[in-house]
Amino acid sequence: MKLVPTAEMTLGPFFPPEFAAGANDLTRQVSGEIIEITGRVTQLDGRPLDNVVLEIWQADPQGRYDNPDFLGWGRAATNADGVYWFKTVKPGAPYINVLILYSGLMRQLQTRIYFDRGEADERLVAIRDGPGRYRFDIRLRGEAETPFFDD
Amino acid sequence: MAYVVEPRDPLTQSEGVVAGYAQTASRWPAQPPARRPPGPAELSGPARLERRLPLGRADLAGQGGKRALGQLIEIRARVVDEDGAPIQGAMVEIWHCNAAGKYIHPNDANDAPEDPNFYGAARLLTGDSGLVTLRTIKPGAYPVPDSGGWWRPPHVHFSAWGRVWLSRLVTQMFFPGEPLNDHDAILNAVREPAARSRCIARLVPKENILAYEYQMVVRGRNAAPKMG
Repeated sequence: MKLVPTAEMTLGPFFPPEFAAGANDLTRQVSGEIIEITGRVTQLDGRPLDNVVLEIWQADPQGRYDNPDFLGWGRAATNADGVYWFKTVKPGAPYINVLILYSGLMRQLQTRIYFDRGEADERLVAIRDGPGRYRFDIRLRGEAETPFFDD
Repeated sequence: MAYVVEPRDPLTQSEGVVAGYAQTASRWPAQPPARRPPGPAELSGPARLERRLPLGRADLAGQGGKRALGQLIEIRARVVDEDGAPIQGAMVEIWHCNAAGKYIHPNDANDAPEDPNFYGAARLLTGDSGLVTLRTIKPGAYPVPDSGGWWRPPHVHFSAWGRVWLSRLVTQMFFPGEPLNDHDAILNAVREPAARSRCIARLVPKENILAYEYQMVVRGRNAAPKMG
C-alpha cells in the first residue's frame, strides 16, 4: 500500500503566538561554539514580513543528528521589522536546514544556511557579522530571491 | 531498510500562486525550486520535540459553566506515513477559530465576538495507533478581509511531524457538506479532486458527540527490501 502524502496548506495569518514563542534557543545542555543567526524576511515589494515562522534542523558540533542530549531543532517567528533570531551551536556539518511557513505560502519553503562557500550557492552563505554572529536574509520573491529546494 | 522520501505528484499538492488569494503572488518564489538528493540532514529528524515545545490542552470545549459556545465535536486525527504505518509519539499542533469565526490572535480584525470560554490552540502527541483525539467545538466560517467576498469555510489547522525532516506537514482539515468548501481558494488550490477530498474529515456520529475522523499522511516510507 502506498498512500499519497496529504496536501500542504498555508499556515494562515493566525498561528497562535504561544506556538511561535520560546523555541529559538538551542544552546541548553550543549557545549560548542555558540552562534547567533539573525536576518530579515521580505516579500516581492521588499516589505519586511511580520510573524513568519522559521524552523531549523541541524547537526550537533560533532556532526551528529541523533545526539540524545542535543535537540538540533528550533523555531522562531519574525517581529514587526521582519527580523528573526536563533541562538544555537555551530554544527559539525556544512549547513543548517530551514523551512519557512507563512500566510500566503501554500506550501512550506525549504532552504539552507551554509557557513562557508564551498560548493554552495553564494546566496545561501550566511554573512559573518562579528564574532559568533551570522546574518541570513530571506527574500521570498523578487530581486535577489533566495534559492529554495523541492525534494 | 532505509527510510526514503520521494518527490510528490504536484497535482496532489497546492499550487504556489493562487487566483483569488492575492498575497500568494507576492510571496511564492518566482524561480522554480531546485531538486536536491536528500542526505542525512533531510532524512533524519527531530525526536521527542516535547523537549522544546510544551504540550497542552486536549479539550478546547470545556465543561459545565465553562463550556465554549458552539457544537460540541471530537476530532480523531491520525498521522501515518506513505506505507500507512502509524507515527507514534509524533507532535501535532492544532488551532482553529471559535464558533463565531474569531481567532484568539492580535491580527484577527474580524468583527465577531470572542468567547471567554474558548482558547483555540492544542499541542498533543500521537498514541500507539498514531492517533490524537481533541474535544472541541466546531469552528465558524469567516470573511477574508479585502478579498471581494471570500469566506473561509469552517476548518481546523494542523501542524504535524513525521519520522524525518522532510515529513513535516502543515495543512488544514475541512468539514463534509459545507457549501463554502466548493469556493475556498485554499482547498481548491489542490488540483486533483481525490487529493482535495482527502482533506475533508469523515463524520462518525457517536452517542453524545459528533466525531470527525481525519487522516494525515506524512512523507516517507521504507524502501522495498532488495531481492536476493
